[in-house]
Amino acid sequence: MMHTSQGQEWLDVDLKVEKGGFSTFFGESGAGKTTLLRIVAGLTDPAEGYIEVDGEVWFDSKRKINLPVQQRKVGFVFQDYSLFPNMTVRENIRYALADKNQENIIDGWLAAMDLKGLEHERPQKISGGQKQRVALVRALVSSPKILLLDEPLSALDVNLRLKLQDEILKIYQKTKITTILVSHDLSEVFKLSQRVLVLEQGKIVKSGQPHEVFSNQNLSGKFKFVGTIVDIQKDAILSIITVQIGNNLTKVVATDEELKDLKVGDKVVVASKAFNPLLMKYDGR
Amino acid sequence: MNKLTGTIVHIESSEHMSMVDVDVKGDIFSSIVLETPETASYLKVGRAVTLMFKETEVSIGKNLSGQISLRNRFGAVIRSIEASGILAKVLLDYQSVQIVSVISARSAVKLNLKKGDSVEWLVKTNEVSLLTEKG
Amino acid sequence: MLNDLQPLFLTFELAAITTLILVVLGIPLAYWIAFSKSKLKYIVEPLVSMPLVLPPTVLGFYILLAFSPKYFLGHYLESTFDIRIAFSFVGLVIGSVFFSLPFMVNPIKSGFENFPVSLIEASYVLGKSKWETLIKVILPNIKPALFAGFVMAFAHTIGEFGVVLMVGGNIPGETRVASIAIFSEVEALNYDKANFYSLILVAISFCILFGFYYFNRKSVKIF
Repeated sequence: MMHTSQGQEWLDVDLKVEKGGFSTFFGESGAGKTTLLRIVAGLTDPAEGYIEVDGEVWFDSKRKINLPVQQRKVGFVFQDYSLFPNMTVRENIRYALADKNQENIIDGWLAAMDLKGLEHERPQKISGGQKQRVALVRALVSSPKILLLDEPLSALDVNLRLKLQDEILKIYQKTKITTILVSHDLSEVFKLSQRVLVLEQGKIVKSGQPHEVFSNQNLSGKFKFVGTIVDIQKDAILSIITVQIGNNLTKVVATDEELKDLKVGDKVVVASKAFNPLLMKYDGR
Repeated sequence: MNKLTGTIVHIESSEHMSMVDVDVKGDIFSSIVLETPETASYLKVGRAVTLMFKETEVSIGKNLSGQISLRNRFGAVIRSIEASGILAKVLLDYQSVQIVSVISARSAVKLNLKKGDSVEWLVKTNEVSLLTEKG
Repeated sequence: MLNDLQPLFLTFELAAITTLILVVLGIPLAYWIAFSKSKLKYIVEPLVSMPLVLPPTVLGFYILLAFSPKYFLGHYLESTFDIRIAFSFVGLVIGSVFFSLPFMVNPIKSGFENFPVSLIEASYVLGKSKWETLIKVILPNIKPALFAGFVMAFAHTIGEFGVVLMVGGNIPGETRVASIAIFSEVEALNYDKANFYSLILVAISFCILFGFYYFNRKSVKIF
């Protein structure tokens, strides 16, 4: 059980994460995901609780045990990458290296992550995706027991995010390092994690495999998206409502009764039975 | 959105789908969902559910004879008809609950629908969604 | 001629020694004020900045009193170690260190306070101690603030008058720095000499500040 006060909100959770597994803390911002990750890393102290990793007690408020962050051996990838501006890419990674005689490890990672040509650049000279890769390598070369990823891809555009998701997955499959990801992106959760823990207002409300957790919705409609109303065209009997879902605009018809409480700007669920949508191969036209 | 509340009385499942029968004041409605009792906890006999279906999916029949594949067909009385342009909105009284059907204005004329007429309304099983309370 | 330049040499010697001592004292003090959770810092912080508002004579007066052979500290130093602080170069250095303390500490403290916490945390997570984090991550990234502290402390010591006069007096070759020399030359109506010292101080101070702003703008850009 871990508790922490963050403003007025309380975080109260009891959870286990598989050794060697890939787990995700999922939830809205403010649900306590990042705080939970920081507590595991030792960057935030909970008011009371107990943390044990691989048989080693990291935190126990009853016995006044609090292993300092430096000794916890976690790899942490921050949302803002947190690369040291005074060091080059290579120096950033070397700084993390526990054994300075293992320079060849750096070369291996630089090559694997496509960073070879950038090793002598300062972080402020490279792109967001490249920064993210450097941050990932820096976290990994310190040979951590757990890899903690705090919304590592949220600042990147969609294409880059997909590419980096592949790389994270590749690294995970190669190293089999126990990984905890904080995310609010459903596709990311499905793609990467074996287990998802859903946090709402400081509590874990659901946990399990992603498809178990997210298919058990209350509405049986399978064709279901959340979007925002951008336009309402009144017509006789039926009105035409334009809803933005992601980057796509869709049109849905509705009766006056359905429209009664809705206005432009409202968030809506657009749902249909899975039987209705037509499916055709997309040829780019 | 038409809504009716009822209770699940029977569930018949294949590997990934279920046919759910719901009792609404003695009438049995059917709904096909892409879930089974294993994947969806709300799929339990005795569970209260709300049936939802779009107005445009409700068909109206008068003096129907012969056989039809639609399983959800129930009697109702027309409360009012409002025709405008190519569409017509028909308000039905079904067991004192209002069911709305949007059909083409041509059909409304062809069927000679009038206030007070006894008709049958129909909705396909795959158009009926189930909504449960959280939990 | 060399004799004439002596007050200038003394001034720069004083400024250099004072700055050096302040580097050693000021960085840990600024770090403590910026990062400590101790309530004591709410007392230390205004104390450090007191020389900014107090007349230099107040500070000089108390230093003089503290190190006077008539009182405990001064008496102890003189009888045990044969050190006399009042009206000596050492006394000048002590006075200058106190007087220029805020000019060293305040910019560096702001540098620490504005430094992104996540970078410090990133270093800790990588297993690095507070000391290693300070030396390898924080200090190299707050160079403009450090530079500001060094330059301001140095420049301010050059321009000091009140404390110097109170603590050091006007002993040629010992405590007669440029600012005091200007004062005595004017009193003796030697305007040429006073002008000579003044012009040199104006020129040097301008050069220091020009260099400071020029390089700081450049380094801020890089940062």
